[in-house]
Amino acid sequence: MNKQSLGYTIVFSFVVCFAFVFLLSITHQATREQVQLNQELRTKRAVLRALTIEFNDDEEVLERFAEIETVTRNGIELFRLTKDGETRYAGIFGGAGLWGPINITLAVDADVETIIGLDIIDHNETPGLGGRIDEPWFQRQFRGLRLVDGGVQLIRDGNTEGEDGKADAITGATGTSMSMDRILNQTLRDLRSALGGEA
Amino acid sequence: MSDTAVKDPGAILKTNLWTSNPIFVQVLGICSALAVTNLLTNTMIMTLGVVFTTAMSSLTVSLMKSFIPRKVRMVVQTLIIAFYVIIVDIVLRAYLPEVSRNLGPYVGLIITNCIIMGRAEAFAQSNRPILSFWDGMTSGLGYMGVLLVIAFVRELLGFGSLFGVRIFPEGFTPWTIMVMPPSAFFLIGLIVWIGKTIMHRQGEPVT
Repeated sequence: MNKQSLGYTIVFSFVVCFAFVFLLSITHQATREQVQLNQELRTKRAVLRALTIEFNDDEEVLERFAEIETVTRNGIELFRLTKDGETRYAGIFGGAGLWGPINITLAVDADVETIIGLDIIDHNETPGLGGRIDEPWFQRQFRGLRLVDGGVQLIRDGNTEGEDGKADAITGATGTSMSMDRILNQTLRDLRSALGGEA
Repeated sequence: MSDTAVKDPGAILKTNLWTSNPIFVQVLGICSALAVTNLLTNTMIMTLGVVFTTAMSSLTVSLMKSFIPRKVRMVVQTLIIAFYVIIVDIVLRAYLPEVSRNLGPYVGLIITNCIIMGRAEAFAQSNRPILSFWDGMTSGLGYMGVLLVIAFVRELLGFGSLFGVRIFPEGFTPWTIMVMPPSAFFLIGLIVWIGKTIMHRQGEPVT
């Protein structure tokens, strides 16, 4: 058989493509559930962290998440948690960062007067600079932060610890800090209109 | 390339790790050497993916070489390489989601790593399967070795840690430049310089 003939080349290419793509499809199918589970876990973990609920492993994530209700307000999907007579809401929001989109989970109290917690789901900021929005010290600042005029401000100098409505920006990452400022305040406005408070 | 004549496993090892190292002698695969070397863990996973892909695609190309029509030779090689890279990507996505997220598009970009295509075309196309597998694997290891050295320096100075474990005390001021891709350029330059100097001293013909 002539291996350089047109017929052989076409048949060979077809068979090889089919075989490899078939094997890939099988692998993809076999791991699809696991991949989906990973994605769900990521979202759930972010919601729990924003609501400042502690967890140790994936099983606990699912357990704790089961206590949270999902509600839709004004077309926005929110996660509601009622604990000790207090109602808290968390939602997934996003906006433009310096290099790409930043997606966050933000949790607030029912009147949108205090931030409960913040978690960054994903971002493309510069590692070591803007990428530090991932670090615990940055996110911890927002825990229990009381809002001033319904918003927050990221401050460049000084220490903002204990001050209402203020958090430290990241040194050397002006672009990312400004983006975070914008995203957070937009998110707070969205949450306020979703929860029916004053816009 | 002269190394296609090499048939002895020991000589192949030496060629691929040292005298013809893909990074500091052939200067291939530089894109990923710049992009994924600021954390050792990511570099480790990424380079293991490259070792796997280079070894397996060389093996497969060598096994299939007598059936592949000449006209579609490179298309088929690319298909085989892409197949293994997608397998790596799927496995990472399913079992190491955090690493997969950190590496982002770079796993998929292994397909375009010139080392892999280079080995398939220069070696696997004209050698026995087992030897091709060995050649692919050692080429991957040559790439891995250099990237790990770069990542070691970058993570240590850029974050003060190794494999995520803090080495320098809290007060250490990280070198921000080490976190950004340009620092890998300087480091690769230094490695090329050091490597060539040593080779020159040993009297190896410098390519």
